Amino acid sequence: MTTKRQTALRVGETHVQAVRDTFPGAVLDATWQAADQVTITVPTDMLPDVVEFLYYGRGGWLPNMVANDERPINGSYALYYLLSMEESDPGFVVVRAEVDPDSMEYPSVTPRVPACVWSEREAFDMFGLRAQGLPDERRLVLPDDWPSNLYPLRKDAMDYRRRPEPACAVENYEFLYEGHAEETTQVPMGPLHITSDEPGHFRLFVEGEDIIDADYRLFYVHRGMEKVAESRLSYDAVTFLADRICGICGNAHSVAYAEAVENAQGIEVPLRAQYIRAILLEVERLHSHLLNLGLVCHYCGFDTGFQHFFRVREKAMDLAVLLTGARKTYGLNLIGGVRRDILDEQKLATIAYVQELRNEVEALVDMLTSTANFESRTAGIGYLDPAVARDFSPVGPCVRGSGIARDVRFDHPFDGYKFLVGLSARSHNGCDVQSRTLVRVEEFMDSLTMIEQLLEGAPAGPVLTEKWQYTPHKFALGYTEAPRGEDMHWAMVGDNQKCYRWRAKAATYSNWPILRYMFRGNTVADAAIIVGSMDPCYSCTDRVTVVDVKKKTETVLTKDQLEGYCRRRTHSPLAGKGW
Amino acid sequence: MTIIIAILQAVLLVAAAPLASGVARKIRAKMHSRTGTSVLQDYYDLAKLWRRCEVREGGSGLVSRIAPPVFLGSFALIAAGLPLAMQACPIPLLGDIITVLYLMALPRFIFSLAAIDSAGSYTAIGGIRELLVGVLVEPSLMLVLFVMAVAAGSTNLGIMTQAVGTLTAYPFVAVVVAGVACAMACYIEMGKLPFDLAEAEQEIQEGPLAAYSGPSLAMLKLGVSVKQLVVASLFVAVFLPFGAAQAPDAGAVLIGFLLYAVKVTAVLLVAAVIENSVMRVRYKYLGRYTWFVVGIASLSLVFLVIGI
Repeated sequence: MTTKRQTALRVGETHVQAVRDTFPGAVLDATWQAADQVTITVPTDMLPDVVEFLYYGRGGWLPNMVANDERPINGSYALYYLLSMEESDPGFVVVRAEVDPDSMEYPSVTPRVPACVWSEREAFDMFGLRAQGLPDERRLVLPDDWPSNLYPLRKDAMDYRRRPEPACAVENYEFLYEGHAEETTQVPMGPLHITSDEPGHFRLFVEGEDIIDADYRLFYVHRGMEKVAESRLSYDAVTFLADRICGICGNAHSVAYAEAVENAQGIEVPLRAQYIRAILLEVERLHSHLLNLGLVCHYCGFDTGFQHFFRVREKAMDLAVLLTGARKTYGLNLIGGVRRDILDEQKLATIAYVQELRNEVEALVDMLTSTANFESRTAGIGYLDPAVARDFSPVGPCVRGSGIARDVRFDHPFDGYKFLVGLSARSHNGCDVQSRTLVRVEEFMDSLTMIEQLLEGAPAGPVLTEKWQYTPHKFALGYTEAPRGEDMHWAMVGDNQKCYRWRAKAATYSNWPILRYMFRGNTVADAAIIVGSMDPCYSCTDRVTVVDVKKKTETVLTKDQLEGYCRRRTHSPLAGKGW
Repeated sequence: MTIIIAILQAVLLVAAAPLASGVARKIRAKMHSRTGTSVLQDYYDLAKLWRRCEVREGGSGLVSRIAPPVFLGSFALIAAGLPLAMQACPIPLLGDIITVLYLMALPRFIFSLAAIDSAGSYTAIGGIRELLVGVLVEPSLMLVLFVMAVAAGSTNLGIMTQAVGTLTAYPFVAVVVAGVACAMACYIEMGKLPFDLAEAEQEIQEGPLAAYSGPSLAMLKLGVSVKQLVVASLFVAVFLPFGAAQAPDAGAVLIGFLLYAVKVTAVLLVAAVIENSVMRVRYKYLGRYTWFVVGIASLSLVFLVIGI
């Protein structure tokens, strides 16, 4: 009797029961990885039905799908469709299906749930798993010159240090046009575009200045980080690699990865560490949102606003220096907690910074909203239909600007966010650039309040635990709300103290597929600000490139030299050597 | 004597144009809370560009090649003809409003033609936008100058200047309203924010300018600065001629020229402050602003007709 009651209380039980009732015999297995995470295994041919049922029928949203080469474990490939249940019984339901390694095929879910499209394309690139019925079978991640039969994430595919010979010498990516107008001009935007300083190739199909349709090619800077993590690093060092996924929201990735492992291994993170993680995540949000507000000004040709937002942003960076020792909130997370405590004097200084930021930003935002043309440049531009948003599961201010208040911090409270009072997810109903900008403004102010609450509420105690038992092949989800939306990490550790599979889903990965719909009906003049209002992060999406800069003169530094330089900050060991 | 003044005017305006844009850049930097570059930076930029080799787009023809000199030359020619230091045109032939308007239309025409000549899609969009600005702004400018021509009794800028300078232009209200309309039209014509549509950096990557490099780009950049100075000077010459020399005597001309420098600096300062406190107008909505200018210009015509 007691055991039965306990099972009835578990998060996700109602969803599993609903699947059992609707599709008898579909649930082959249901296991809980963490209190709020359940993985159900279904027959491969039932996959589209079950995912569609959970997505539309039970209020699920789909961050992404993880493919995994599990041949060494159980002889087949596996697909994990991650679903974030946000209506009744909030939690995560993961639908797992096995794919036969001989046929390498599975029925595509994309025709039923469009949000799967990028994940299914990527699963083919990385594992060669073909989704039958996938409407768009173009390459997503791998470059055009990658050989067609080499699937890098297969366990037996390749050494991570090797790079295959280029298979072709020309770009052969085909841009798809879905509009109805007969004669359009193609306007290429990128791969290097003056206002998006990162590589993405947008192809705008225009009539005069009106955008009829748009397509894009990304992943020019794919760094192969997942492969590196699996083959080179031990699982507890990956938090530092995850920091480097993004130049802005690295900490969000690092926390997400750490939580994935902690959830899987059942590691209890000390309370104080949970608070500190949340504070650092909010500090990250401060400077990220100021960056975007500045860029909105820049895209509208209002560089005065841009410069002033960046001036104030420096204060947010100073705050990061105060709390972490670096302008970026990097290198603070470990599996089991954080590396650095917040001392009393730092707490007081932080509160002073928060007050200063609040005053400065309020004044700047007043200035921005009263600037001539702000309304006409942003209102009604880049319309994101809530119905499209429902189909594609976008995240962050992008979806919250379309009246859907999805926010991991409030839907699935984690870390310090569990203890916040009086705050809720922000949303605006305009579905346009203006709404997304206003959401960011309000979230910025909320972040300041959160930092104050968290600093006040943080209990004394340790910031790190090191007591846990490592169990191979356990997996779970870790999630954070990065400034741009949810980061979702799925990690499975292996029997060699390494990640067996690590899938890092950055916020922008969920947002790219809807960009095409936001472009339609606008003009070329608005293209930059529409991309900007999404606050895209190319490198997070692309996850990673190893930049190899070869200079003619190479200088090798010894460890002592570097350490000495770190302490002194003068007499650079590189001085006079052509650097 | 007047020929020398005309040549001096053209040379000085072309020589001072980078300084004017350099000062505008400095003001911009100050408003951005930046230190900014030296006010002489535009000279350095031009010198650097002049030394660079020229790269032409494959397939581009004669039009693209002659566009930069035509652009710069037209505005230098207008500069020679404007009544700046004196209340009369140094070369009356160049001071006719019809000549001035056509000399302003010529570079626009060539510029747009060159934009079509280029293979770049952003360039073409920039060319279309340039024409659009022209079509929307030129009517108001024509209307204003027509009102002034009737008020002063001549289409010659020198005679208009004299009429305004001696406060004999009649009817008075019509002239003041025409002045307001002219100021707005000139501001749009200068191509500063929020109306820098043809070269909008963030939207279309500087449009037609993207197709040029080296000396051609230097000429175009100089041409754009000269254009801004010339358009501001046109407004100053017609509506603020106070202090300009009545007769071609050396001392009076010198004083007139110094006063002109002060006036045009003031106008450019105001323009610089405006351009840094607004967002670029949406290409689609440009018409709304120009209709407003057309409205004011028409109002001055109405006042002219009813004689107040």
